Amino acid sequence: MDEKELLGQLATLREPAVLATIVSARGSTPRKTGARMLVGRDGVIAGTVGGGCGEGEVIAAAEALLAGAPPRTVRVDLTDDFTTWSPAVCGGIMDVFVERANPERFDGP
Amino acid sequence: MNPSAARVAARVLEALGRGERIYTAVVTGARDPALIGRRWWLSGRRHGGSLGSPALDEAVAAAVPALFPPRESRGALSRDFRYPDGGRTVTATVYIELHGPPARMVIVGAGHIAIPLSRMAAMLGMRVEVLDDRPDFAAADRFPEAAAVRVIDFRDPFAAMDLGPSDHVVLVTRGHSFDYECLVRLLRMSAPPGYIGMIGSRRRVRATHEQLAREGFTTDEMRRVRAPVGLDLGGQTPAEIAVSVVAEIILFHGGGTGAPLVEKERVVERFFGDPGGRNAAED
Repeated sequence: MDEKELLGQLATLREPAVLATIVSARGSTPRKTGARMLVGRDGVIAGTVGGGCGEGEVIAAAEALLAGAPPRTVRVDLTDDFTTWSPAVCGGIMDVFVERANPERFDGP
Repeated sequence: MNPSAARVAARVLEALGRGERIYTAVVTGARDPALIGRRWWLSGRRHGGSLGSPALDEAVAAAVPALFPPRESRGALSRDFRYPDGGRTVTATVYIELHGPPARMVIVGAGHIAIPLSRMAAMLGMRVEVLDDRPDFAAADRFPEAAAVRVIDFRDPFAAMDLGPSDHVVLVTRGHSFDYECLVRLLRMSAPPGYIGMIGSRRRVRATHEQLAREGFTTDEMRRVRAPVGLDLGGQTPAEIAVSVVAEIILFHGGGTGAPLVEKERVVERFFGDPGGRNAAED
């Protein structure tokens, strides 16, 4: 999805959501620094931070934020043993910052 | 009040709508948990929000121009900043993004290569402008993906275009005298386009360079021109040549090697090489 499109969705949110952004990436990760995903109460609204490789962990963290947890950096380790069929064998490590993305009209601290 | 991520996104879209660069920043790591998620943005002289400390805002504002090269219109990175807080020096991790107007691709010469080149550059998200002195060729209906199609005079092909380091210019004109006219102007600009490419056989490129040399241009200046433009893919058709040009532009920004990944990674040779077999030769 086009990045500008995601920004547009973010700027015109109608209900609380969580913005997840890859803020640093080392090694082989499916998406690089700057990739982002918007998660709402019913799941992913737009974007991706890597699909099977680590996205589940980020979605779980996003759900915790929607339930009231503070913003934080989630470290996603994709360096699982490559002889397994784990989806996390891409080979890299990425930090994903998850933060509340309130709709404009709910702008607050 | 800390601007929400939604509000910052709206500021980014406004800046892009004005054709301006904007930097956005958010604190992702700090000893004081109240700082995490603090946001700030800067676009020209406009700015808003705060990273929680005027000293940190200033440190980030001072650092951003050097963090992102002028030829790039998009960037994202994290940095640790040390700044004074009360009597001590503290550290915060800040994630910073640059959003700028889309990179521009100026195609000079609206012939058969220009058509797939315009389409592919638009697919890469570039703003495409096509120039030619022949109105029948520089016709908007031939270039539906282009943002602008202009009939120009080769005596001053880039009049009023305000080209700069973030721009790409590819010369695919019908004759090397036209390429030459363009190159002279591009190379004399105080801040020439970051990417200048010119199509041509070795002989045609040499002819243009001979003329540049006669005009007093140095070999360093000649080397600023990617000529012949494109990667050596062995393509022949206009579409194949356009692929080789856009591939070189991706390489220019992405910093890869341009080699096939299978040769770069050599997974079979590295991990499955048979010492007695033909795979062992290189190791």
